[in-house]
Amino acid sequence: MNKTIIAATFVSSVLSIQVSASVPDVSPKELQQTVPAAAQICVSCHGAQGQGLEGAGPKLAGLSSAYMAAQVKLFQSGNRQNPLMQPMAMMLQGDNIKIAADYFASQPVVEVGLHYRGDKVVIENPAEKLAYQGDWSRDLPACFSCHGPSAVGAELFPRLAGQQASYLKIQLEAWQKGTRKGDADNMMANVANKLTAVEIDQLAQYFASLK
Amino acid sequence: MNFQVKNILGAMVLIGLNTNALADELPDRQQALPSVQKQAEHLYLQSAALADIPAGEFGDKVRLGYQLFVNTQQLRDKHVGNELNCVNCHLNAGNKANASPLWGAYFAYPAYRKKNDKVNSFEERLQGCFTYSMNGKAPESGSKELVALSAYSYWLGMSGLMLQHNVAGPVPELSDSELVKGAKRDDFILPEAISSKMDQNALAQLPGRGYPAVPKAEQAYSPERGAKVYQAHCQSCHGDDGQGQMIAGIAALPPLWGPQSYNWGAGMHRVGTAADFIYENMPLGKSVQLTPQQAWDVSSYINSQERPQDPRFKGQVTDTQKQYHQHDGYYGKTISGQVLGSDSSANFPKK
Repeated sequence: MNKTIIAATFVSSVLSIQVSASVPDVSPKELQQTVPAAAQICVSCHGAQGQGLEGAGPKLAGLSSAYMAAQVKLFQSGNRQNPLMQPMAMMLQGDNIKIAADYFASQPVVEVGLHYRGDKVVIENPAEKLAYQGDWSRDLPACFSCHGPSAVGAELFPRLAGQQASYLKIQLEAWQKGTRKGDADNMMANVANKLTAVEIDQLAQYFASLK
Repeated sequence: MNFQVKNILGAMVLIGLNTNALADELPDRQQALPSVQKQAEHLYLQSAALADIPAGEFGDKVRLGYQLFVNTQQLRDKHVGNELNCVNCHLNAGNKANASPLWGAYFAYPAYRKKNDKVNSFEERLQGCFTYSMNGKAPESGSKELVALSAYSYWLGMSGLMLQHNVAGPVPELSDSELVKGAKRDDFILPEAISSKMDQNALAQLPGRGYPAVPKAEQAYSPERGAKVYQAHCQSCHGDDGQGQMIAGIAALPPLWGPQSYNWGAGMHRVGTAADFIYENMPLGKSVQLTPQQAWDVSSYINSQERPQDPRFKGQVTDTQKQYHQHDGYYGKTISGQVLGSDSSANFPKK
């Protein structure tokens, strides 16, 4: 209960900063005309174009509608735990989940150069090496296997390229702690649990740098 | 009983082959060699790091082999006719024990294979992969591609053996014509430190070669039960329609059936082979998560779907079935009122 109030207060304070700081050329009135009503509650933390706000909300542009809708439901069911996002997710119900998800999925995202497995044989950057080759001495598959070339993702495999490093780090830690779950066969936790704290930092920085 | 059935089937296969010995047949090179049993005390070969591949012409062939292996789509429409990559079934770039590692195969060829009653070289085995698993058109003997894939396989195996036996120095370079033969031959030169400890047969049976045999299941395999296993454990990556996951134009996660997957001549279409692979290696990075029964069932579900035609098909499914499918596969069998093989997609279609 308390948490909800704190979260709501935080969100409203972010809202006021967000609208004036991040979208200077668009007045709040115009903003309401472009963002569907169902998606309005997301804008304060995720930005009107889903561009994200470091520390408040990750980038949504570049994620699929199916993935975002699934995440809203995982927050609602408690498989994903976050004091800020869980109460927000509860406010999004029924058709509004898909309307909001479709809207952010349709937002433009910076194109990244696509790199495929095998483009490089020897990879010096340890995070890039994990991303493309994994470390099978620990049965750690390459991130590429599910997140694809340059980790642009598709459908239920989220885009990692250009995502906030802080968010990626928190997510890998959440998979480790069990505060994020709900995928098939606990696949992602199985991967995250094999990563060291240093590797998590390196991977978060690496994927964030793919822009 | 089982033994008798096998013998009869074996005899039928031989008869089938004999009648065709004179015809210009596409040989079956996809039957797995007997697998190596998995044992707890096994130490698996550890190849040198890719960074240790030497500079120069020989190293370039090894590197190209690696690149073709992990991104076989470079050969799409030239030699590959589906969305698969070698690495889909040979995990960790062909370097993973119990996932049919290249280092295991390289030392097991040339091999006599009863299915085509002939000694097959390593490059002929690779050609089989292109014809069947990749639903494509095999590169010619001695081609750049087969030399590169052979060089990579050889390098993985030899560097691993040298590390295991404390042999210093670079991996000895071989000529192209030697590379494509494979290592199970009398004129293959091995460092004394290795040959004094392992004979040809030991090298052909390296622990971790092939896919270890999945334990027998209590019940006969069932595609109906397999469908449930598939939905629970496979579809989130391979799709509810088995078509994998396309990302940025490539199948990051491979299609398991349909026109973009392996064809009816591929080793993986056999229920036993796929069950072995699945039991040991799926879900990716987890290994041995399903019960043997689940592995058999889901393999039968996957392999009782349509896929590209057997390239040896001459117009009659029953003929192809009689001649090449007297084993644990679904080709020619009727599933949901449909004879599998009667509506198969094309071989080597262009993208």
